[in-house]
Amino acid sequence: MNLRDKYYLILLIFLILQIIWFNHIRLFSDFMPMVFIYPLLILPLSKNETTNLLIAFASGLFLDIVSNTGGVFAATAVLITYLRKVYFIMLKNPTQKINEINMKNITFGQKTIYFALFVLLAHITIYFLDSFNAGLVFSKWKNILVNTLISTVFIIFIDIIFFNPAKR
Amino acid sequence: MIKLLRYLSTRQSFLLFVFLEIIALILTVKAHDYALLKTNNLQTALAGNINQSLYSVQKHFSLQSYNDSLINQNARLLEKLQHLKTGNVTIPEPIPGQYRYIPAFVISNQYNLQHNSLIINKGERDGVQPETGVLSTNGIVGVVQKTSDHYAKVISILNKNLKINVALKNTNYSGFLQWPGQDPNNFEVIDLPVNAPVKKGDTIVTGGMSGVFPKGIPVGYITGYRMVTGQKSYKINIKSFSDMTALGPVYVIKNRLKSELDSLKITE
Repeated sequence: MNLRDKYYLILLIFLILQIIWFNHIRLFSDFMPMVFIYPLLILPLSKNETTNLLIAFASGLFLDIVSNTGGVFAATAVLITYLRKVYFIMLKNPTQKINEINMKNITFGQKTIYFALFVLLAHITIYFLDSFNAGLVFSKWKNILVNTLISTVFIIFIDIIFFNPAKR
Repeated sequence: MIKLLRYLSTRQSFLLFVFLEIIALILTVKAHDYALLKTNNLQTALAGNINQSLYSVQKHFSLQSYNDSLINQNARLLEKLQHLKTGNVTIPEPIPGQYRYIPAFVISNQYNLQHNSLIINKGERDGVQPETGVLSTNGIVGVVQKTSDHYAKVISILNKNLKINVALKNTNYSGFLQWPGQDPNNFEVIDLPVNAPVKKGDTIVTGGMSGVFPKGIPVGYITGYRMVTGQKSYKINIKSFSDMTALGPVYVIKNRLKSELDSLKITE
């Protein structure tokens, strides 16, 4: 199995986990971990961006069909997949090429901030698209923050245990 | 123009990003539009088939709770039967045979968003039609929005766009149930007249005026209320009897006389 297939397999496993398990667990009344974005956040930046965007769209759309949410998850998945490249372009060394950034070489602190930021962005996008009401996003800030915290902890835990222990 | 095309051709990923976002937004807007497609729908059928496969795996883990819920329901039915035999209560008499109950199972349930919906494993071939009510063993669940042959999409009561006619139990004072979008167990009743004898702990039941639900199905109990300034009505906070986050067996209530009722409303 080559590297590309490995990432797509991980994405498929996380989609199934999200639908079968994470969509049904209720932490502290109504908080739900959103872990399906983890594989999208660890896709190598050197990969063809067009393929990454299409894969993100397809996985989000699959979740939307199962969850009856129109295109909320598809829009969120595409947004974070596109913006993560912008994020790394802004952070990289001026001499460094974007293709040279490797997720394995990012420190634990940098990775935690990266995961937390994009999980927060994903939750804000989901809440906004679901209601089309920016005011509601502000009124639900507590839910968004707790959901972000829970999802980030899950994602970091999965990252450390199963996949790619970052440099500490 | 050529310069613009040349520039855009170097920004393929940005164009694809915008294109995919537009498609996703169109799908989202369509999903929020309740006037759209109350009939057969490919997406409902697709979602139903996927969820049915997932449900066949999940149901093995939920059998115990479904059994408990059915046992509780049996107990309540036996209790009601006993009351009827001893003549302790007067049950409101609907027209005989007006309502038909179609048993179904929830195969996909959403409760974390603002516009939640669920899918049940009964569709048009089983007699389920749009704008019919859905009940669980503990109370109301939602209203069927659209159907495919074997599945139906139900707008959950945890949906900010849904308003259901409800009444104060044992009175004719009615208002509308709506979900404020926060806790899945807490709801609001609006437009209840100020002369209604409202007390904390009183029960709210379905009002029966829309013809979607029969009158008198328990919805929840009052936890607080306040008068709406300038409107001569109460805004009531209620806690629901049904746990919308753990749904299994449900019943679709088909009102055989609804079309007759609706035809009169149209001619009004």
